[in-house]
Amino acid sequence: MKFNKPIKVAISVLILIVLLLMPKWGSDRFINIFILIFLYMSMGQMWNLLAGYAGLVSLGQQMFIGIGGYTVAVVCQSYNLPLWVGLIVAPFVCTLCALIISLPIFKMSGDFFTIGSWIVAEAMLLFFTNWSFVKYGFGFTISAGRVLTLTHRYIMALILGIGSVLVVYIALRTKFGLGIMAMRDNEGVSKVRGVKIYRTKLNCFLISAFITGLAGGAMHLFDGYIQPYAAFSIDWTVTMVFMVIIGGIGTIEGPILGAFIYVFLRQYLLNFPGVSMLIFGAIALIIILLAPKGIVGLLQDRTGFELFSVRRSIKAPKLPDKPESASQNT
Amino acid sequence: MYIIIQSVITGILLGGLYAVIGVGMSLVFGIMRLTNIAHGDLMILASYFTMLFAMEIVGNVFLALLITIVLMLILSFLIQTFLVNRVIDKGPEPSLLVMFGVSIIIRNALILIFGANNRTIPNPLSTTNILNSPNISISGGYLVNFIVGVAVVLVLMFIIQKTYFGMSIRATASNRMGAELLGVNTKRIFAYTLCLAVATASIAGLLIGQTFVFYPSTGPQYLITAFGVVVIGGMGSLGGTLVGGILLGLVQLLSAHFFGTGWQTIAGYVFMLVILTIRPQGIFAKARR
Repeated sequence: MKFNKPIKVAISVLILIVLLLMPKWGSDRFINIFILIFLYMSMGQMWNLLAGYAGLVSLGQQMFIGIGGYTVAVVCQSYNLPLWVGLIVAPFVCTLCALIISLPIFKMSGDFFTIGSWIVAEAMLLFFTNWSFVKYGFGFTISAGRVLTLTHRYIMALILGIGSVLVVYIALRTKFGLGIMAMRDNEGVSKVRGVKIYRTKLNCFLISAFITGLAGGAMHLFDGYIQPYAAFSIDWTVTMVFMVIIGGIGTIEGPILGAFIYVFLRQYLLNFPGVSMLIFGAIALIIILLAPKGIVGLLQDRTGFELFSVRRSIKAPKLPDKPESASQNT
Repeated sequence: MYIIIQSVITGILLGGLYAVIGVGMSLVFGIMRLTNIAHGDLMILASYFTMLFAMEIVGNVFLALLITIVLMLILSFLIQTFLVNRVIDKGPEPSLLVMFGVSIIIRNALILIFGANNRTIPNPLSTTNILNSPNISISGGYLVNFIVGVAVVLVLMFIIQKTYFGMSIRATASNRMGAELLGVNTKRIFAYTLCLAVATASIAGLLIGQTFVFYPSTGPQYLITAFGVVVIGGMGSLGGTLVGGILLGLVQLLSAHFFGTGWQTIAGYVFMLVILTIRPQGIFAKARR
C-alpha cells in the first residue's frame, strides 16, 4: 500500500477541509469532542517530540499546562486584560520557565531527567499552593472565556492541533530535525558528527513548553476554572504518555490517532466512574509489552504507509555500505 | 535555640524513615539500572494492605506486616517476571514506562477500592514521648522509625556484602554478562532484587502509615522522597541512603523552621534539584560515568 506524494497531499487537504467545515454540519456534542481531541493532540504531539524524537522522557509536562493556565487566569482575571493577550502571553511565559528550568534539569540524563522533571513539576505545584498571589489552592474562575462561542473554541483548538502537527513535521524535516533523530539514535556519534546536543535538546524542550503551555491556557480558558491540584496533576502527563504509547511513539501520526482513541475511550468510560485511568494504564502497559511501536508503528511495519513521513528518500537505488551523507551537514 | 535543636533531632529521626523509603529504590537502581517509578505506589499499597490486615483481619501490626510482605513479594515477583523482564533488555525507556503503567494501575485501583480518603494506621507510640522535657521532646514513633530505618539498611548491607546470595547480586550488578557466564540466572536475580526492595517498601509502608496520613495519590510524593534520598546519598550506595535520608530530613525540618511549614516539602525538592545539578552521582558516591 504505497501512496504517492500528491495523493497524500490530497488526503491531507481533504481532511483539513472536512475539519474546517465541521461547525457547519457537526452537532454540539461532536464539536466538543473534537475540541478535546485537538487540544490533547497538541499535548501528545509535544510529548512525542520530547520522548519519541529527542529522547527526553519528561514526566513534568503538566507544569506547562499549569503555568499556561495560570498565566491566562492571572492576565485575564487579575489584570482584566482581553483574552487574546492571555493566550499570547501564556506560551511565552512557559517558554521562559522552560528556559530557566532547563539550567538544572539538562545536567541530568536518562532516568534522572525523567524524575528530575517530575520533581520540578511537583515543586511547582507546591509553590502555587503556597503563593498568595494566585490565591493558594483555591484557584481562579476565568470568566474571560465565556464570550467564546463553540465555533470560536473549535477553530482555536483546530489551529492548535493542526499547528502542533505542522510544527513537529516542519521541525523534523529541517536540518534541526535530522539532528534530533541522529541524537536519538546515537548521541555519541551524532555529537562527533557535529550535532549540538545541548542546543538541540533545549530547542525541543522549548518548543514543547510553548505549545503545551498554549494548550494548557486554552484548556483552562474553556473550562473557566483553574485550581493548582488539577492544573499541575500528573494525570496530564499520564494522558500524554497514553496517547503517544498507544498511537505509536516516534511517529507523527501516533499522537493524532492516540488523541482520537483517548478522547473517545474517555467519553465511553465516563459511564464507569473511577475505572478510566485504571483502564488507560492497563492498555498502555499491554501496548508497551506487545507492540512497543504502538498501533501506527505496527501498521507501518505491515504496510509501509506513512501519511506524514519525515524520512528522506534516497534517489539512488542502491548505496554502498557507508553512513548516510545527510548527517554530515548537521 | 532549643527549637533549632529540636528541629535537628526531629530531622535526623525523620531521616531514618526516609532511608527505609529510599533504600529499596537504591537497591533496584544499583543492581538493575532500573528507576523503579512505581516504588512510591508499591509503598502506599503496602500501607493499605497493612492497615487492612491490622485493623480488620488479624488485629496485630507485626503479623499484618508479615502477611503484607509475603503478598508484596508475590506481587513484585509477578511484576518482575511478566512485565519488567520482558522489556529490560530493550533499554531504559520501556521498563521505565512499564513501571509507570504499574504505578498508575496501583494508584487508581486503590482509589477504586479504598476511596480517596485520608487513612492512618493507629500507633500507640506516636502519641507517647520518649524524652519529654520543657524544651526538647522526642516522639516515640519517630525514634522507632529511626531505629527500624538503621536496622533495615544494616541488614540489607549484610545481605549484599556477606552472603552468597548477595555475592551473586553484586556480580550481576557489576557485570551482567560475566555473571551469566558463571552460572548466575541474572533475570532471577533481578526478580529477587525487586523482592528485597519491595520488602523494604512494605516496612516503609507500615512506618509511613503509622507516622503520617496516607491516601492513594500520596505515592508520587514518596517516590520523589525516595528518589531524593537516593540522589543525595548516591545511586546504588546503601550506606549513602541513610546519610541521604538524614540530610533530607534535616533540610526539610530546618527550612520548616526558618520559612514556615508550607515550604518544607518544596525546600526538600529544591535541595534534591541542587544536588542533581551539581553532583548527579550523589554526594558520597564515587564518580561512575
